[in-house]
Amino acid sequence: MNKTETVNISRRSFVEKSATAAAALTIAPGIFLNQVHAKPAAEAVTDAKRWGILVDTAKCASGCTSCVTACHEENGIASHGRPLTDQQWIRKVKLKDKQTNHVVSLPVMCQHCEKPPCVDVCPTGASFKRDDGIVLVDRHICIGCRYCMMACPYKARSFAHEAVDNVVDYQPRGKGTVESCTMCVHRVDEDGTPACVEACTEAEHGAMIFGDLKDPESAISKELVKHGGTQLRADLGLNTGVRYRGI
Amino acid sequence: MLQIKNLMHKTIISLAGIAAIAFSAFVVAGEKPSFAPSVPHPTNGTTECVEPEDEMKKNHMEYLLHQRDATVHEGVRTKTYSLKECINCHVPENTEIRFGDDKHFCSSCHNYAGVSIDCFQCHMDRPMGKNPHKKTAQVVLPVQSKLADASTTGASNE
Repeated sequence: MNKTETVNISRRSFVEKSATAAAALTIAPGIFLNQVHAKPAAEAVTDAKRWGILVDTAKCASGCTSCVTACHEENGIASHGRPLTDQQWIRKVKLKDKQTNHVVSLPVMCQHCEKPPCVDVCPTGASFKRDDGIVLVDRHICIGCRYCMMACPYKARSFAHEAVDNVVDYQPRGKGTVESCTMCVHRVDEDGTPACVEACTEAEHGAMIFGDLKDPESAISKELVKHGGTQLRADLGLNTGVRYRGI
Repeated sequence: MLQIKNLMHKTIISLAGIAAIAFSAFVVAGEKPSFAPSVPHPTNGTTECVEPEDEMKKNHMEYLLHQRDATVHEGVRTKTYSLKECINCHVPENTEIRFGDDKHFCSSCHNYAGVSIDCFQCHMDRPMGKNPHKKTAQVVLPVQSKLADASTTGASNE
């Protein structure tokens, strides 16, 4: 009898404690998540992660350029009034099937390939891939030869033909070097989301998902497992970090 | 001969005296030698740099170069030796002074030493504070596309 009572009491206290723990988790889920995932500033990135973006073209609204605007505002990219040579890190592309007249709208930016042709051709090592899969240009050693621009099958890179006068301190840019989408690396290093993805969510389209392709629990991995996603020019075998659905 | 020796002795003593008087006057006035550039110190109350001043004067470029590669290639974002933090501390916010002016922290010495640097062709030469470009940046409109143009698919920019 006594034994049974003891069991009951401990069971009650267990339930109470569980409820408290559950409440704590529910009240501040963000804090717990940040504690788990944040990369200390002094730590180098590793290949334990690979960042990627999934674009659902069915949700991407034709005529909406929120992602383009957000990207260029974030990175201080301004027009010089010469559209043919202005820098462009992301652009909206319209694909029309001539047979059915079906139109698909999608943003195209650096696809952050696993085997990037821009890195292969760079004569100085300025074009490189970080361990976490983000493809970047080190402008300190870029000589502006533009081989990478020719090698890129996605036309993702731009050359800075003119002096940049509205640079932001987290994204230094200058004349005579090549530049492209950095997947907002300054945000990613601080557990943030790229500006384009954030803008797409804010515009309530939700066509873009950003996340770790190597983490099976991430939203992007789950979506890819469930519904799949295609690469642009998959025939090239570049294994892109940016994937599309519905094209 | 003795007279000449005496004269020399007197001259040396008087020259030394003049030098001593001149030096003491210099010390009393508390002036630095006029040929050294005056480097502006932080105005935000900070009194100590991340390394001793002599070390920074001599080797700041080594710290910056090391941090540069660590940040760009490895994503190390510590602030201690970053160029951005040098500027945030040494250049006042909302200043009109730009790199190239003798009053700018970096150019005050680099102009004097005649050492050209190209950091500020890309980097900001003053603290950014909150992003001032968010509202002013003109957005570049998408131009053209060379993406897949197969026989059944037409690609164009929106």
